[in-house]
Amino acid sequence: MTSKRVGIESSLAVSEAVRLANVDVIAAYPITPQTHIVESLAEMVANGYLDAEYIPVESEHSAMSACLGSCAVGARTFTATASQGLILMHEVLLVAASLRLPIVMAVANRALSGPLNIWGDHSDAMITRDAGWIQIFIENGQQAFDQTLCAFRIAEHPDVLLPTVINIDGFHVSHVIEPVYILDQKSVDEFLPPYKYPHPLDPDDPITMGCFAAPNLYTEARKALDASVRASKKVILDTWKKYGDLTGRYYNPVEKYKADGAETILVTMGSYSENAMIAIDDLQDEGKKIGLVRLRLWRPFPYEEVQEALSAAQNVIVLDRAISLGGPAPVCSEIRAALYTLDKKPQVASVVGGLGGRDISPDNFKTLIDLAMQKLKAGETQEIIMFGVRE
Amino acid sequence: MKKDTSIEIRWHGRGGQGAVTSAELIALAAIHEGKFAQAFPSFGPERRGAPVLAFNRIDAENPIRIRSGVVKPDIVVVLDPGLVTLINVTDGLKPGGCLVVNSTRSVEDLQQEFSGDWKLAVVDAASIARELLGVNIVNTTMVGAMVKAAEVVKFESLKAPLNERFGARASSNFEACMRAYNSTVISQITTTGTKKSKSFPMEKIPGWRELLVGCIVTEPGNTKKFGTGDWKSQHPVWDDKKCIKCGICSLFCPEGCIQPNEEGYYRANLFYCKGCGMCAHECWTQAIKMVEGT
Amino acid sequence: METLAIYAPKLVTASDYIASGHRACSGCGEVLAVRYVCKALGRNTIISNATGCMEIVSTPLPETAWEVPWIHTLFENASAVASGIESGLKALKRKHGYTKEVKVVAMGGDGGTADIGLQSLSGALERGHDFIYVCFDNEAYMNTGIQRSSETPFGASTTTAPAGKLSMGQHTQKKNMPAIAAAHNIRYVATSCSSYPFDIMNKIEKAKQIKGPSYIHILSVCPTGWRSASNLTITMGRLAVETGIFPMYEIEDGKYTLNFDYPKLRPVEDYLKLQGRFRHLTKENTAEIQEHVLTEFNRIRMLAGKKIK
Repeated sequence: MTSKRVGIESSLAVSEAVRLANVDVIAAYPITPQTHIVESLAEMVANGYLDAEYIPVESEHSAMSACLGSCAVGARTFTATASQGLILMHEVLLVAASLRLPIVMAVANRALSGPLNIWGDHSDAMITRDAGWIQIFIENGQQAFDQTLCAFRIAEHPDVLLPTVINIDGFHVSHVIEPVYILDQKSVDEFLPPYKYPHPLDPDDPITMGCFAAPNLYTEARKALDASVRASKKVILDTWKKYGDLTGRYYNPVEKYKADGAETILVTMGSYSENAMIAIDDLQDEGKKIGLVRLRLWRPFPYEEVQEALSAAQNVIVLDRAISLGGPAPVCSEIRAALYTLDKKPQVASVVGGLGGRDISPDNFKTLIDLAMQKLKAGETQEIIMFGVRE
Repeated sequence: MKKDTSIEIRWHGRGGQGAVTSAELIALAAIHEGKFAQAFPSFGPERRGAPVLAFNRIDAENPIRIRSGVVKPDIVVVLDPGLVTLINVTDGLKPGGCLVVNSTRSVEDLQQEFSGDWKLAVVDAASIARELLGVNIVNTTMVGAMVKAAEVVKFESLKAPLNERFGARASSNFEACMRAYNSTVISQITTTGTKKSKSFPMEKIPGWRELLVGCIVTEPGNTKKFGTGDWKSQHPVWDDKKCIKCGICSLFCPEGCIQPNEEGYYRANLFYCKGCGMCAHECWTQAIKMVEGT
Repeated sequence: METLAIYAPKLVTASDYIASGHRACSGCGEVLAVRYVCKALGRNTIISNATGCMEIVSTPLPETAWEVPWIHTLFENASAVASGIESGLKALKRKHGYTKEVKVVAMGGDGGTADIGLQSLSGALERGHDFIYVCFDNEAYMNTGIQRSSETPFGASTTTAPAGKLSMGQHTQKKNMPAIAAAHNIRYVATSCSSYPFDIMNKIEKAKQIKGPSYIHILSVCPTGWRSASNLTITMGRLAVETGIFPMYEIEDGKYTLNFDYPKLRPVEDYLKLQGRFRHLTKENTAEIQEHVLTEFNRIRMLAGKKIK
């Protein structure tokens, strides 16, 4: 394996991965903060660095719809979007999963209207949580590159055939230039086999895709899809192992940072995990028994790994960058559900913060943890802490 | 479980014949009397001409809470005479229940079709509807027959819902309803009829592990296994003497089920023919006639 | 009527790509039009179908009536899916040795075309994908129970624009979809009707030869929604054409050709009186419709370079 260390914007690192994957079709509609990904891809196509059809569709709904078509004839297919774009294509996302079309998508996560806000949070990803896609979160440019490559291998694996999304925090990751190791083409070709869709639309073998299912079959269709999403974890783990062996960068559904033996564990997802690490370093230096657990795989949800990582702790603090209006914060809700069957359950505090681009600096994280600890001590864990909100 | 006090009715018709309206009228009449009642259709992709179902529940005493389909009806009403021999209309009909059929056949003749312990009521609703309404739509007529056979509501109670539903055409519909009420012939069948009730083998429905990836279907045109022939009440008959073998009947068949035989004369595959009558209407030489029956 | 030599039907290919056993209504003109379209398309076709009658009646899992590769995903996106199919095949040809010559076809009803699917259709036409779009226009949302669409004709009673004490039903004129399609400067636009098999097949043949997008708008008689007798389906379509209510024309590279013209158009009454959806119309309403039809027909005549009669 050879790779080159370059200074590159994370969005462009994603595009590099897409180029190395030699995709056949890109269908995309521009939306901040996804634009740099699709602009750079369009440029590669315009200059012949990437031999692909770039479809400049008239909406995100059509972007994902065009992806269905190209993927169904057996073309390797990529798109990228964010925020309103992701929820405009929501209807199509569900069909992509149910037809088992292995489209790969990058989402530069951004808040949802209203009010209109172009900055980062996870509201868009949470709304599309139940669409049947494999959903992976990353924290920096290197991970964005690595996971985009891995996504093609996972999605297209004959045992998986599911669309896969890489969630990249808008601006905080997408627009940051940083050093990234870019793999060489030969290594990528060895890692990523050519796309071979098992049953493409083909006049020589005319199949029908997209039948309706009456009450006597809808349940079976949904069960089959759910089973396939759950079963994809095996291939995800295999792929990450293989990628780790190739590059030395190993990934896991749940990744611990100084969490062994910690009494309190902070759970984060996405780029703020790196800020949290700095805070954890400081707090441990001060003698606090606190560690960090980052959730990388959001769907299929890694129940066993979450239990394993959190069961020994007394306290868990979950940070959500999305709000479920009138309900529990989405990540915290899943974490609590995963812990419910344990004999000895940690106390769980729920924090919502970092909405619409609001920063949570390492110092802020210390405050956040303090606040959460007070609530945990007071036993007030039902209440969601809205971090940083002005009264 | 609390004893079930409701009467359940199943209406058999064809898409477009108004079985749903029949069920509605009965429910409204019962509600008008202060009873509890439900009327509902079976929701499906079936189209005009296809056998369809509608349902009623009527309870004189208790509110009806059940939201499931009717599987063991007390009363079965058959709007289309052709359905009697096509589908198992008495499926699940409770012993001691009542079967009401629109037919030109006599009650003695018709009871040979069934075996069970039921009351059989027969009325020539088609003739009544044609005479009084000018069309062969028997939904209101069959309501009269049903109320005669099993007085689930008082006959007078039908008047208000008929008025509301039919406006200017209410009086003719009420008349048809009354004519049917007065001319329905009822007999008790405790015999085992000579003809056994049909059984309809369902093709095995796949389990979730058997569905192909993405629920694709890999057998092109496999609807050919599905007969739509039971949708029709009339079928085409060719007079080969008049036929010039032009094939326009074949071209204008929406089912694509009219093909030439070895001698070059055309025939409809009645397994699919829905009886639309386009072939007969478009035939240059009027060689095709539509004849009652499937 | 269509100049139909008596033995012409025998010349039509016996191959069908939509199989018997489909669940379309008895007397359905739309499925008949689909039959003709598919005959002309032939086997080397991939169809992207919008949600609607044709999708529902043809594909109840685990069954399919289709004998060409066929995909249905949603209501409003048939053209976008077709864009992806066409682009995918292009990439496969250029990069992966794919050699088959396949025509990509998107189809939908009037709702899936002129209402909810208009944006994705416009996008696909504008981008110049090599595909045929076929609109099967039965003039309302028949699949959900005869609700009005922008293609419902003036005066028709539908379940969401019913005739009533204060309303004569649809009070707007049919959206001019062929003109909208033509405004994308595509090379071939045509109208046709389910009662004219040879016209449909000829126009599909022409569209197949075009590299780039083409649009065919087929009036598809719906006895259920129009409340007409099912054996009159062919008659109804002919009357729509012979009264001038539905002109049959082509727009080739912007140039109009009127395919069916008559010394004298039949009165619209002949068409309207056979349909329950127009039963409520007054003499004045009918006169208004008659006048509009003549104006519109003359407009097409003029565009086709003919003298106004």
